[in-house]
Amino acid sequence: MHPPVSNPSAQETVGSVLVVGGGVAGVQASLDLTELGYKVYLIEKSGAIGGVMARLDKTFPTNDCSLCILAPKLVEAGRDPNIEILTLSELVDLTGGPGNFTATVRKQPRYIDEDICTGCGQCTLYCLKQIGNDFNENLEHSHAAHIDYAQAVPTSYHIDPKACLKLNYDTCGLCAVACQAGAIRFDDKEKVIDIPVGAVVLAPGFGRVSDEVMARYGLGKFEDVVTAFEHERLMCASGPTGGEIVRISDRKHPKKIAFLQCIGSRDENCGNNYCSSVCCMYAIKQATLAREHDPECEITLFYMDVRTHGKGFDAARERAVREGKFRVIYARPPKVEDVFDGGLLLAWATEDGLHHQEKFDLVVLSQGLEAPDGAEDLARAAGIHLNGYQFAQIDTYTPLATSRPGVYVIGAFQGPKDIPDSVTQAGGAAALCAGRLAQARGTATIKASFPEERDISGEEPRIGVFVCHCGINIGGVVKVPSVAEYAKTLPHVVYATDNLYSCSQDTQRLLVETIHKHRLNRLVVAACTPRTHEPLFQATLREAGLNRSLFEMANIRDQCSWVHMHEPEAATEKAKDAVRMAVAKAAHLTALAEQQLPVTPSALVVGGGLAGMTAAMTIAEQGFEVTLVEREKELGGRAKLLTADRFGFDPRKALAELIAKVKAHPKITVHTQATVAAVSGYVGNFTTTLDTGNGSVVVNHGVAAIATGGRPYEPKQYHYGESPKIVTQLDLEKKLAGSRPRAKNAKQVVMIQCVGSRGEDLSYCSRVCCGQALKNSLRLKKLRPELGITVLYRDMRAYGFLEDDYRAAREAGVIFIRYHEEKKPEVSVGKSGAVTVRYHDPLLSDDVELAADLLALSVGIVPEDPTKLARMLKVPVTADKFFLEAHVKLQPVDLPVDGTYICGLAHSPRSMDETIAQAQAAAGRACHPLARGSITPAPIVSKVDPELCIGCGACESFCPYKAIEIYKEDKTRKARTLTASCKGCGVCAARCPTLAIDMGRFTLSGIMAQIQAFGEAYGEQHA
Amino acid sequence: MPEQYSPKILGFLCNWCCYTAADSAGVGRYQYPPNLRVIRMMCTGRLDPSFPLEGLAQGADGIFVGGCHPGECHYIDGNYHALVSASLVHAVLGKLGIEKERFLIDWASAAEGPNFVKIITAFTKKISTLGPLGRAEGRDQAELRRNLAAAAETARGRKLRTGLINAGREMMKTGDFSRTAIAGLVHDKCDKALSELSV
Repeated sequence: MHPPVSNPSAQETVGSVLVVGGGVAGVQASLDLTELGYKVYLIEKSGAIGGVMARLDKTFPTNDCSLCILAPKLVEAGRDPNIEILTLSELVDLTGGPGNFTATVRKQPRYIDEDICTGCGQCTLYCLKQIGNDFNENLEHSHAAHIDYAQAVPTSYHIDPKACLKLNYDTCGLCAVACQAGAIRFDDKEKVIDIPVGAVVLAPGFGRVSDEVMARYGLGKFEDVVTAFEHERLMCASGPTGGEIVRISDRKHPKKIAFLQCIGSRDENCGNNYCSSVCCMYAIKQATLAREHDPECEITLFYMDVRTHGKGFDAARERAVREGKFRVIYARPPKVEDVFDGGLLLAWATEDGLHHQEKFDLVVLSQGLEAPDGAEDLARAAGIHLNGYQFAQIDTYTPLATSRPGVYVIGAFQGPKDIPDSVTQAGGAAALCAGRLAQARGTATIKASFPEERDISGEEPRIGVFVCHCGINIGGVVKVPSVAEYAKTLPHVVYATDNLYSCSQDTQRLLVETIHKHRLNRLVVAACTPRTHEPLFQATLREAGLNRSLFEMANIRDQCSWVHMHEPEAATEKAKDAVRMAVAKAAHLTALAEQQLPVTPSALVVGGGLAGMTAAMTIAEQGFEVTLVEREKELGGRAKLLTADRFGFDPRKALAELIAKVKAHPKITVHTQATVAAVSGYVGNFTTTLDTGNGSVVVNHGVAAIATGGRPYEPKQYHYGESPKIVTQLDLEKKLAGSRPRAKNAKQVVMIQCVGSRGEDLSYCSRVCCGQALKNSLRLKKLRPELGITVLYRDMRAYGFLEDDYRAAREAGVIFIRYHEEKKPEVSVGKSGAVTVRYHDPLLSDDVELAADLLALSVGIVPEDPTKLARMLKVPVTADKFFLEAHVKLQPVDLPVDGTYICGLAHSPRSMDETIAQAQAAAGRACHPLARGSITPAPIVSKVDPELCIGCGACESFCPYKAIEIYKEDKTRKARTLTASCKGCGVCAARCPTLAIDMGRFTLSGIMAQIQAFGEAYGEQHA
Repeated sequence: MPEQYSPKILGFLCNWCCYTAADSAGVGRYQYPPNLRVIRMMCTGRLDPSFPLEGLAQGADGIFVGGCHPGECHYIDGNYHALVSASLVHAVLGKLGIEKERFLIDWASAAEGPNFVKIITAFTKKISTLGPLGRAEGRDQAELRRNLAAAAETARGRKLRTGLINAGREMMKTGDFSRTAIAGLVHDKCDKALSELSV
C-alpha cells in the first residue's frame, strides 16, 4: 500500500511534523517540537484543542485545577507562529517515507471564519437550535452555533452542521444577522489538504467504554447512576451545576455516594481485558472532592485491586482515604438496582464469599479507557499496526515508535495512561522526530517576531487593571465589577475593566488592543496565581510592545475567593486591597533588559544504565555532543539483571546492542568508573568535574540529564539469606535463564509481593514487582505446567496490558491470595532449610500452611542515594530519595533547576519501556536550550549600585550561587552581579548595609509601596 | 464599642513554599479568616528587616512571614537568613514594648495547604486576642506606630545591618540554625545599635 521507504538523504528532509490530536499529549509534543526547531501541523478532530484534560475539574494527586494549568499551554500553542492548528480535521492518508511524507488531511467546515470571529458569542445567543453540550457531558444545552468551552483555542465559534436549521432546512440564519464581524459562512466546504511533513506523531487520545457496557451497572436505566466523566463536570465550578454535586433525579445533594471501579476494564465480557490504569486515581480524586463539597457525605469505593502505582500516588491515596474517611471495599463491581422509595440498591460479594447489599444515593461509574474511536481508520490512514485491543502496536524497546518508521505514538493511544506519562511521551516523541529530522532543523520554522519594546522610561505610569471573573470561580464570591470600579479610583490607573476569563485567547487580543488604545505602560491582572499565569500575560505584554517586567498580578482567586467562599463582603474587600497593593507596586516597576547568553551545545548524562544510555543516544542523534558518566566499570546498569521481558525476549540482547551503539557513536564520550565531583554554572554554561580512574576531567556542557538509577531492595524479612530456597525475583530471573534453567525442579513455588515496598521499609509502591512476579510465574509454568505457584499479594498492580499476564497466570493455574498489611504471611525455615509459608486465606477464613521448594520475594526498588549529586546541582529530592521533578503533571522530567533533567529509576520505579520513553523525553527537553542556542534568564536578578556600594563583601559571602563577585575599581572594592548565575532570591539585598543592592521586580521601593498601600485601609479607618 | 474587631495582618510569603501552599489551600477550598494580605517575594531571604516593622508602622496588627521548611529552601538557605531578620524584628518589638507574638515566622511546604490554613487561622486568632496594636500593650497606638516607623528607618541603617551581617556570618560558620542560637547571635551583634532606638 505504501511505497518502500526511500533513503531520506536522497530526498530533501522536511523540517515539519504532523501531530494528530490536540489533547495534552499532542499539544505538549507540538510545543516541544517548535522549541526544537520544527514546524508543526496540529490536527484535531473536534472544534478546539484541549482534549480530556480540559474537561477535568482537578488533577490527581495535587488537586490542581486542571484547565488552569492546561490553559496557558493551549494559549501558547495557539499563538506559536510555528504551530498551525487545524480543527475538525482528520488524517486520511499518509504517503512517502520518514523525512518526506505527504499527509492528506480532511478538514470539515466550521461555517464560521476563524480569522474573523471575535469570539463575542452573539451567534450562540441568537441560535434557535439547541443541542447537548458535549463538553459538559450533555448535562446541559448548547446551541448549533457554539464554542466548545470558554477558554477554547482557537477562540472561534463553529456551527454543528447536523443541527443547524439553515444548513439542513434553509431557515433561520439568525446568526449571520447577529454576527457583527460577518464571520458566518454557510457556504463553507470540506477541504482536503496535502501537507509535506518529515514525521508524524499520533496522539488521538482514548475512547470511552460504551454506554451498552455501562448499562449493566444501571447507566441509562437509573438517573442517579452517572459516569465519572459526568461526575467530573458536576464537581467543576464551570460545569452544568456551577460546581454542585447533585443527583440528576431530584437535584438534591447525595448523602451516600458509591464509586464503582473497573467499569469496562479488566472485563473480558466487553473485550477489554486490560486495566485502564487511571481510574483508581481519578476515583480517589473525585471522592476527595466530593468530601470537600460535603463533609457529611458517606463515601464508599469498590475496588478489585487498588492500583495507585505512580510516584507518590500511594501516599496521596492513603492520606485521602484517611482524611476523607472513605470506606474501601474489595469486591467486583456491585450490581445496581433501584428501590421503590428512591435510591439505588447495590449488591456485592466480598472476598470472604459473603454477600452484602446497601442503599446509595448516587453511583459513579469509573468508566474505563478504550482505544480512540476510529482507531482502525486512523491506523489505516497512517499505515500502522494495532494490537488486539486496537491500541497502537509498539515494542518494549522502542515504546514510542509505531510499526511504520517515522510515525510515532504517544499518550493513551499507546496504552491507557495518565497525564504525566502522556506528557513524558510527548517530550520523547518530539526528541525522536528531532533526531530523525536533525538535518532539517529550523528549515521550516519562522522566528517569532515581537514588536519592538516601547521605551517607557520617560512616561508617567499609566496602569491598566483587568479583574477576572474566572467564570464563577471568582465572580461567584467576589463582586468583580465593584473591584474593577474601585481600581479606577487608584493612582495612575487609567483603565480598568472586568472580564470572564482573563486567560482566554480572545482576552489576550483584547489586552493588546487595550494597551495600545490607552497607551498603558503597566498592566495589573487580578485573577488567579502568578505562579501559573504570569508567563501567559507577560507574553501578551510583549506582543503589545511592552517589556515583560511591567506586569503584576493580584491573586484574588486561589488566595481570596476560593478560601473565603462564605464571606463575599470580606472577600471583596480583600480583593480590593490586593488590587490596590498590586497597583502601588506596578507604579514602581521598570523595564528590565533581558540578557541573552550563549549555550554550550553539549550535554552531560550521569548514569550509564538503560535510562542514561537512551538519553545519551537521543541527544547525540539530534546532533549534540554528549558526555556519559558511569560509576561502574561497564555500561548497562540494572537492566542486566533481567533475563526476559514479558514477551519472552532477553532484554540483555537489546541492552548489548544499545551499549555497542553508544560506544560507537561519534558524538558520545563515555567515562566509566567515573563520578561527578563538582558542578558549577547554570543552564547553558555548566562546568562539571569528574573523578575518573585517570584523575579529574573537566566537562563544559549546556545541560545535564540525571539517570543515576536504583537498585533492588535487600530484604531482611521473611528469613531471606537463611535458606537457598528463599530468593528474590531477580535471583529467580537468573535461575530461569539459559537452556537448562535451574528453577525447573521446584514443585511448589510461593511468591510474596511488596517485600519492602508500600510501608515496610519503602513507603512507596515499586510499580514493577507485580508485573515481574506475573512474568516469572508464567515462565515457570511454561517450563513445567504442573508446578504449583501461589502468589501472596496486597493488590495485584497489573496495570495496562499487564492485566493480560494476570489473566494468563490465573488460567495457567497460578493461585493468587490477597494478604493485608496487618496480617502478613509468615515464613519459617526448618533444620534442613525447608521453607514453610503460613498465610491467611480469606475464602477459607483460616490460616493455611504451605511448604515451598522455592520462595520468591518480590523486592522493591531503592534509588541510589541522590543526596550528594542533588546538593551539587541544587535540586530537591523527595522524602523517599527520588529526585523531585519541577511539576508532577506538566513538567515530569524537568528538575526545578533550569537545564537539568531526570529520568529512570532515580525519578521513580518504572518498567523498561517506561524508562526508555522517559529517557527519550528527558533527552528531548534537554535539547531545548541546545537547539535554541541561547538562554534568557528571568530578569529578576540583583543589581548593585556602584555609587552606594562600599565593597564590604557581605553580599558575596551570603550568595548561595556565587553570583556576586567583588572587583576593584580604582583601588576601591565593588560588588557586581553575575546575572546568569543569579536566581533572584534577594538575600544580598536584605543584607546590604548601604541598600546598594536591589532586586528586579522585587525592589525596595516596590515592596515599600505595597506595604504603604496595605496601610491605606488602616489610614482610611483612622482618618 | 466599635463593631467586632477584625485584625489587619500582612504576610510576606515566599514564592516556592508558603505562597504555593496558600494557592494549594485555595485549590483545596480550605477556608480561613479573610484578614491576611499578601506580599509575594521569591524567597524569605529577601525579607528586609525593615519590612515587618514598616508593616506594623503602616497599620498592621500582626505580621506573618512564611517560607520553606528549614533545610528545604528553594535557594538553599534563604530561610535561615530570614530567621536572622526575624530575630531582629522580635528584638525591636521587645525594646518598643510590643507583644512579640504580633510577629510570626513559620513554614509550610508547597504541598501543605492545610498546614498553611492552620497557621494563618491560629495567628489570626492570636492577633484577635491581642487586639489592635497598643491594646494588649496598654500603650498609645499612634505613638507605637511612630516608634515602629523610626525603628524601620534604623533597620535600614548601616549600623544595625552590619550587626546582622556579622550575625549571619557567624550563623553560617557555626551551622546552628536553631531560633535560639540565631536570637543569641543577633542579640550579641546588634544590641548596641538597638540601644539607640527611641522607645
